[in-house]
Amino acid sequence: MLRRAKLALALLVGLAAAPGAAAAHEALSLEDEFVKGVFSPKFVPPVPGSYELPAVKRVAGFVLRDSTGRAVNTREITAGKVAVVSFIYTACPERLGCPLASVALQDLQGRLKDEGLHRDVVLLSISFDPGRDNPARLAKYARVYGADLAFWRFMTAPSSRVLEDVLEGYGQDRAPVYDSRGRFTGRYSHVLKVFLVDREGDIRNIYSAGFLVPDLVVNDIKTVLAGPARR
Amino acid sequence: MRKRVLFAAIFVLGLFGSAAADETCQSPFLPKVTGQEDYLYVWTLGVKGVGDGNDSIVTVDANPKSAGYGKIIHRAPVPGRHEAHHAGFTDDRRFLWAGGLDTSQIFVFDVGTDPAKPRLVKTISTFVKDTGGMVGPHTFYALPGRMLISALSNAQDGSGRTGLAEYGNNGKFIRAIWMPKEAPYGYDVRVNVNLNRMLTSSFAGKKNYMRPFGELIKDGEAMKNFGDSVIVWDFHARKPLQVLRVPGAPLELRWALLPNHNYAFTATALTGQLVLIYQQEDGTWATKNIAEIGANIPVDISIAPDDSKIYVNSFGDGTLRVYDVTNPFEGKLIEQVKLGEMANMVSSSWDGKRLYATNSLLSQWDKPGDYWLKAYNWEGGKLVAKFTTDFNAVGRAHIMNLNSKAFGPRAARTAPGDRRLSAHAAPR
Repeated sequence: MLRRAKLALALLVGLAAAPGAAAAHEALSLEDEFVKGVFSPKFVPPVPGSYELPAVKRVAGFVLRDSTGRAVNTREITAGKVAVVSFIYTACPERLGCPLASVALQDLQGRLKDEGLHRDVVLLSISFDPGRDNPARLAKYARVYGADLAFWRFMTAPSSRVLEDVLEGYGQDRAPVYDSRGRFTGRYSHVLKVFLVDREGDIRNIYSAGFLVPDLVVNDIKTVLAGPARR
Repeated sequence: MRKRVLFAAIFVLGLFGSAAADETCQSPFLPKVTGQEDYLYVWTLGVKGVGDGNDSIVTVDANPKSAGYGKIIHRAPVPGRHEAHHAGFTDDRRFLWAGGLDTSQIFVFDVGTDPAKPRLVKTISTFVKDTGGMVGPHTFYALPGRMLISALSNAQDGSGRTGLAEYGNNGKFIRAIWMPKEAPYGYDVRVNVNLNRMLTSSFAGKKNYMRPFGELIKDGEAMKNFGDSVIVWDFHARKPLQVLRVPGAPLELRWALLPNHNYAFTATALTGQLVLIYQQEDGTWATKNIAEIGANIPVDISIAPDDSKIYVNSFGDGTLRVYDVTNPFEGKLIEQVKLGEMANMVSSSWDGKRLYATNSLLSQWDKPGDYWLKAYNWEGGKLVAKFTTDFNAVGRAHIMNLNSKAFGPRAARTAPGDRRLSAHAAPR
């Protein structure tokens, strides 16, 4: 309950602090209402195993660097485990983007430990921004979110090229944002997506902002742990 | 340069990453165009003897500050005629999927690389086989990383027995879900994420929708074969929970958008009713006819972003009607605009200030005449005509999807059909 409250609070703070523009005031207030609506799940997720999560696509392993600077194949990290994979970058200013994903993973970390599922699951946050997000920066970010690094790993690509392969593998978009003079702002636009990957490497569900509900993700994890996708 | 300013402006508003839609009926999983749209993509029926005769995605410039405002600025044809009908964006708005109700082909256009010029990048020709016999891919509704498609018919008997299909954004078939036996028809599909509820509506099979209209309405037996239901589903489980009887072919579904507005609207084509679909206190769902639209074949509806109005376009009398649904249990007709001899799709912009309409329904049902797209703005409490785009040289205009320069150019690295393998990928 406390975690849920914290999540809700973080979302509300994010909303209150969301930058606005006078010209778009009307649209923005409507947007706020809509977004608040989106983050008010009013349903009990279906019982684990009572539904199917067919494979969306299979993802490969990628050699990335973790927050200690070590080169690691994601396949080794996820071997025999269900993985919850999110894409973030530490400079992300969008409250409803990366911070939301990380708050949700923080919440999940606690829930999965409470339920004794942490041995079967691994959380993975992969940076969108290999240029800036070096291992030290990721380690700091991990501390901010109280990550248990044995369970929740932070990775960055050794190059943009590798990152593009990872993004393509998952089907995650990312586009650099430029200012009016054509200079890179240091920000990336992206649709928030969190991927649930089973032990065979199949993506079994994808959550975006409106459906990133920890109760639902936990039930999906239990569903996926019960068996591979029907083919 | 302006492109980049716009791009920055939209993302500064924190809209990317949020669940949203441009037109008010779009999937909540889509980022949206909140301000002025730049383009309308019109999935246009090809007509024999008109140009190359092919179906096409036609781009109309919708930005009043642009020199091409109101004009066709691009046309992306597909090979042949397929009964172009509906189209929808993927969840990242980089691709537009468009379906043919006759051939069951699905055409995927890249709209991210150059939003003014959609480019055909993939054709899915296996829909019938993939789904175990569904025919007529209709609504294309974005889910995260996937496309949810409602079909209209089946290959076995051409009746309205049909279902839903899901494909990955990469074009890979994921699953097919047939409608329940007691309510076999399909048409539209829309999701409310807060409630974990999905609604589907019901129309008719291919042997009805591909038959000349004048002939069909004289065939009493055939006229019995129209859907009469709206199904409430557990969205996450994709399981039907409740079948609501809504006689007369309830077509388009529009969820209310504001928090605690746990309701949706539809209109029945054959019985001319505007229908509220609402959640009752015990959590179950019910319907209520809230306005008599009339015997004019209402075919499309659109909802205002603040849930205050429903726009209804009627094929039979070519009229756009506006209903005040501030009290959703009672629709009040507040405005009528005669658009032409017939009218079909109607789409509101996200900010509710602009409205677009087209007038082609189905190749075998359309009346002879002019084909167009018309734009209206709300000015001083009235709908004021802004432009008419003549479609007679390119075909017949059906669905419109709004887009902004802000959503491009974006790296289209995961284009469907892109088989580039990663040198760094390790096999699992």
